[in-house]
Amino acid sequence: MSDGTTRTIKVGYLARVEGEGGLTVTVRRGRVEEVRLEIFEPPRFFEALLRGRSFAEAPDITARICGICPIAYQMSAVHAMEDALGVHVEGQLRALRRLVYCGEWIESHTLHVYMLHAPDFLGYPDAIAMARDHRETVQRGLRLKKAGNAIVALLGGREIHPVNVRVGGFYRVPERAELSPLADELAWARDAALETVRWVAGFEFPDFEPDYEFVALRHPDEYPMNEGRIASTAGLDVTAQEYEAHFVEDHVAHSNALQSRLRARGAYLCGPLARYALNAERLSPLARATARAVGLGPVCRNPFRSIVVRAIEVLHACDEALRLIAAYEPPPRPFLDVAPRAATGCAATEAPRGLLYHRYRLAADGAIEDAKIVPPTSQNQKSMEEDLARFVAPRLALPRDELTLRCEQAVRNYDPCISCATHFLRLRIDEA
Amino acid sequence: MRARVIGLGQAAAGDDGVGLAVLDALREHGVPADVELVRAAEDVALVALLETCAPVVLVDAVLGTPTGEVLDLAPSELARRGPRSVSTHGLGVPEAVELARTLAPDTVSPAVRVVAVTIQRPTAYAQCLSPAVAAAVPRAVARVLGLVGG
Repeated sequence: MSDGTTRTIKVGYLARVEGEGGLTVTVRRGRVEEVRLEIFEPPRFFEALLRGRSFAEAPDITARICGICPIAYQMSAVHAMEDALGVHVEGQLRALRRLVYCGEWIESHTLHVYMLHAPDFLGYPDAIAMARDHRETVQRGLRLKKAGNAIVALLGGREIHPVNVRVGGFYRVPERAELSPLADELAWARDAALETVRWVAGFEFPDFEPDYEFVALRHPDEYPMNEGRIASTAGLDVTAQEYEAHFVEDHVAHSNALQSRLRARGAYLCGPLARYALNAERLSPLARATARAVGLGPVCRNPFRSIVVRAIEVLHACDEALRLIAAYEPPPRPFLDVAPRAATGCAATEAPRGLLYHRYRLAADGAIEDAKIVPPTSQNQKSMEEDLARFVAPRLALPRDELTLRCEQAVRNYDPCISCATHFLRLRIDEA
Repeated sequence: MRARVIGLGQAAAGDDGVGLAVLDALREHGVPADVELVRAAEDVALVALLETCAPVVLVDAVLGTPTGEVLDLAPSELARRGPRSVSTHGLGVPEAVELARTLAPDTVSPAVRVVAVTIQRPTAYAQCLSPAVAAAVPRAVARVLGLVGG
């Protein structure tokens, strides 16, 4: 490092982070001056695409935003539309929505735990190298992920861009017998999830515990997926309708994404760590006991340890899915009737990566006049940048390759979904 | 099953969706009844789809010039030749094939080919293909049909 010279070190792309973005760390005289995470964010494109379309099309259109979490987009869309149109889905239809969300949590989290995150802790460059030495473990991960996919495929109508979810319910609901094969595999999956928790809890984690303000849904009776108030560890407790009074989005020059912050306090974090901090006592008894057994306290602030919390959430989702299937009786009708009207509706649900907020303004004929979609990654972006600055500062003396690797790992902690455009994340360190 | 054809890509990212467009065109054109046409949501889904004793043809976009070239490649050639797949998240096609072969060497299709269409790096969201890439779709369809005997 020398004053007066600027060096750009190209260190390739983060091959295991979805989507495209760029990370630039600017170091001046040995101090981290700026960290910029560039994100190319698809939801903004979809907001424009939704205008003028019927309210009924929103679940199908928004499902195309992300190949990993289409259900999250559908769930936020239908709940926001139902808020606008004065409909409340209850009983078995509500249970089926929760079941399909369990499927998405299982597949998305398992993908992250096994294919993206675990290789970092075990010292492998990628999942392929890890699979050569840990074949049975990776096979377990793939089968576990598939158990989640099977739920989404059955209730969503198909695995990719599910089409069976509609405002008011589903186009078609399953018979009891159709859910039986899912239950058989989920019983295996629950054991596999338990093994997964024990496996990842044994990894070594760096000491790194930022003082986050966690934001997540909080529900009085259940670990939240589709319903609840938006709460934070600093005392925020509001409805989805009040979201925009408390959260604001800023344009940032280096990214085409908008960056969210709390009006009152700035950066915050949503996602598994936040859900866990605000709802740990509502986990299933097995998931709660397992979390305690592997040493997770009531709050986990170490983003590297998020792999353990994701594994706990997979265990919970398997448990919850089994409970929902056991109690399932086909509802008399697959959907409630919904009549269009001029109104505005909002909803926030818990995507695997965190809070996903949708707002729609509808015309009297149900045409969408305006749409707003705030995905978890743009909500976490400010925290990610602040964390990276904090994380890099004491590690500047590390060899460049190692520092690069550590930065990559730090980004992967947040499971950023910058997907669905092109698929690279370039890391650049500008040193002056 | 005679063969499985797997389309990859993101339809909302313009030319990145060419693999899906080829799949749609194949469906419209018609393929023999024992040829399966499927989409893969992402790379890890590909791992399970490669487990078949039938030949597999992956149809995907790759970065490369000139735009709209149709290439017929072995998965390993994607890395060797330079163009890098830009569809499905993260892992990439050659990596997914390698992962599948590492995990299940005995059950992965012995014959995996990639029919790739060269595209420029997508920089904006668009739901349609550029003219040069759209013009490549019939040639890619013909190449796939040639491989699966349609």
